[in-house]
Amino acid sequence: MTLLRQLTLGFFLLAIGVTCGTGWLALRAAEQHGAVTFAAIVAGITLGAATWQMFVVERDRREHLAARRFLEHLLRYGEPGCGAAVSLDTLPAITAGSVWEEPLKKTFDYFSSFQDRRLMLENARAAADIRLQRLTSQVEWMESVLSNLGDPVLAVNAYDEIILANRDAESLLRLRPMVTDKRRLPPIVGCERLTNMIHEVRRRTSATLRHEELELEDATGHKRWYRASAGKLPLANDVSQDSGAVLVLRDITTQRSMQKQHAEFVSSASHEMKAPLAGIKAYVELLADGDAADEAEREEFLGVINGQADRLQRLIDNLLNIARIEAGVVKVSKQSRSINEILVEAAQVAQPAAEAKHITLVSDLSPLYLGALVDRDMLLQAAINLLSNAVKYTPDGGRVTLRSRLADQELLIEVEDTGVGLSEEDCRLIFEKFYRVDKDKNMAAGTGLGLALAKHIAEDVHGGKLTVRSKLGVGSTFSISIPHVARTN
Amino acid sequence: MKHILLCDDDVTILRAVEIKLTRAGYRVTCCGDGQAAYDSIQRELPDMIISDCQMPRLGGLELVRKLRSEEATCLVPFLMLTGKGFELPLEDLRRDYAVLDVMAKPFSPREILHIVETTLTASVT
Repeated sequence: MTLLRQLTLGFFLLAIGVTCGTGWLALRAAEQHGAVTFAAIVAGITLGAATWQMFVVERDRREHLAARRFLEHLLRYGEPGCGAAVSLDTLPAITAGSVWEEPLKKTFDYFSSFQDRRLMLENARAAADIRLQRLTSQVEWMESVLSNLGDPVLAVNAYDEIILANRDAESLLRLRPMVTDKRRLPPIVGCERLTNMIHEVRRRTSATLRHEELELEDATGHKRWYRASAGKLPLANDVSQDSGAVLVLRDITTQRSMQKQHAEFVSSASHEMKAPLAGIKAYVELLADGDAADEAEREEFLGVINGQADRLQRLIDNLLNIARIEAGVVKVSKQSRSINEILVEAAQVAQPAAEAKHITLVSDLSPLYLGALVDRDMLLQAAINLLSNAVKYTPDGGRVTLRSRLADQELLIEVEDTGVGLSEEDCRLIFEKFYRVDKDKNMAAGTGLGLALAKHIAEDVHGGKLTVRSKLGVGSTFSISIPHVARTN
Repeated sequence: MKHILLCDDDVTILRAVEIKLTRAGYRVTCCGDGQAAYDSIQRELPDMIISDCQMPRLGGLELVRKLRSEEATCLVPFLMLTGKGFELPLEDLRRDYAVLDVMAKPFSPREILHIVETTLTASVT
C-alpha cells in the first residue's frame, strides 16, 4: 500500500472520528438543552462533509493510478522494439484541469520528440551502416585490384609516410616490416631516384606525371628494369597543395630485352648489308679511277660488283622471308606432296655448285612414296639452303648425301656432308639469325640467314623439327622431320 | 717503298684496298684475320696497319691492344675499318690506342689512300 493511500485512509478515519465525536457532543447538548433538531442538522452536515472528502480522495486516487499507468505505458513505449503506440487519447481518462494534466502532456511531448529523434537516429545509423558496408567492399575491391595488378603501387602522404603499398610494392621495395611503423619514405624505399621523383612531383603545382626508367633488384635478388611513374595525389579541388604522391612501377625487363634484341638484329642486318655494299662501292671506285690494269682485271672488278649485288639481293630476300614468317603474314599453301620430288628438284639446283668444287652429290632417296602436307616452294627453299650450305662448307672433292626416309610417323630429310664440321657451341648457335662460324667465314659468302630460314620453314610452317649432328673435321648432318601423310588414292 | 699491312676477313674488300694501295706505289701484305696479321708483324714491322674490326681468331680491337702493349709496335699508325655503325667508341680508341681513325663500311678506297698518304708523309717529315 502506497503512502498516499495510507494517508488518505488515515485522513478518512480521522474525519469519521471527528464527525462521530462532534455528533455525540451535539446529541448530549440537545438532551441537556432540548435542541434535538439542531444536533441532527450538525450531524448531517458533518456526515456530508465526510462523504465529500471521501469522494475527493477517491478521485485523486483514480487520477493518480491513471497517470501512473500512462507513465508506465510511456516508459514501455520508449523502450526500443516495444512497438506499443501511445497517444494523447489515453489522457481523457484523467479529468480535465487535474494537476496531472499539464505534467503528463509535457511528458508525452518530450517522449514524442525523443521517439522522433530516436527514429531519426536509427535511420541515420542504418544509412551509415549501408555506407560503411559499401565503402568496406569498395576498399576490399580496390585492395584486391591493387594486389592483383602485378605492378608495385605505393602512395605517400604530405609527411612522407607510406599510406598505401600493395603486395608487389612491399616485396620489391622491402616494405613489409616498416609500413606499420609509418616510417618515412627515404629509408624505406632505399632508392634515391624514386624518393627524388616522389618529392619532385609533390612540389609541382599541377597534377602531371613524371616517368623514369631504372633498374631495381627484385625479391629474388635479380636485377630487373622498371618504368616508374609518379604523380601528385589529388586533394579536393586544390592540386597546388601538397597532399602526397602515388608511385607505380611497371616491369619492362622483357620489353627492354626485346628492344635490345631488335637493335641487335638491325645492327647485324645492317652489318651484313654493309659488307657487299662496301665491295660494290670499292670496285666501282676502282673502275672509275682507272685502277684496272687491263681488260681482264676490269672484267674481274665487274664480276665482283655483280657477285656482291647478288649477295645483297639474297640477304634482302632471306630477311624478308624470315620477317614474313615471323610476323605470320606469309601465305602458306600446303598440299599433299611427294617429298622425293621436291628433293630431286633441290638436288638439281645444288648440282652445279657441287660440280664446281668436285663434290659428289649423292641422292639416297626412299623408294617409298613419302607424302606430306607441305608448302612446296618453302620446303624446296629449305632443302636448297641445307644442300647449298653442305656444298659451301665441304672441302673440294668431298661428298654430300641427300637422304629421305620414313621413321615412325615422321618423314626424315637428311643432308650429310664430309665438311669442316661444327663445335658443340656452334651446333647450339648455328640456327640463330646472322650467326656464322668465324673460322669458316672465308670458305664461302653467306648471309647467316639460310639456316634460320630453314628452321622457320621446318618448324613454324610445317610443325616439324630441324636438328644438326656434327663432329669437327668429320662432317655434319642436318635433319628435317615433318609429319607423314599417308597416300589416300 | 713503304710497307702497309692490310687485314680483313672479307677477301673482296681486302683485294680492292690492296689494288688501290699497290697502284699508288705501296707494298701491301694481306692477312685474313688478326692472328695472321700479328704473326706477320712479328716477322716484319710495317709502316702502317689497316685492319677490320670483326675478324675470326683475333679481332681488330684485340690486335691493336696487343700491338700497343709491345714496345716495338706501340707507335705503328693504325687505321681501323668496321662494318658496325655506332658500337665503336672512336674517341676512346684514339685516346687509349692512338688509332688514327675508324672508317665505317662502305668506305672509299680513295679515302683510305688519302689517309695513308697523309699519315706516312707526316711520319717522314
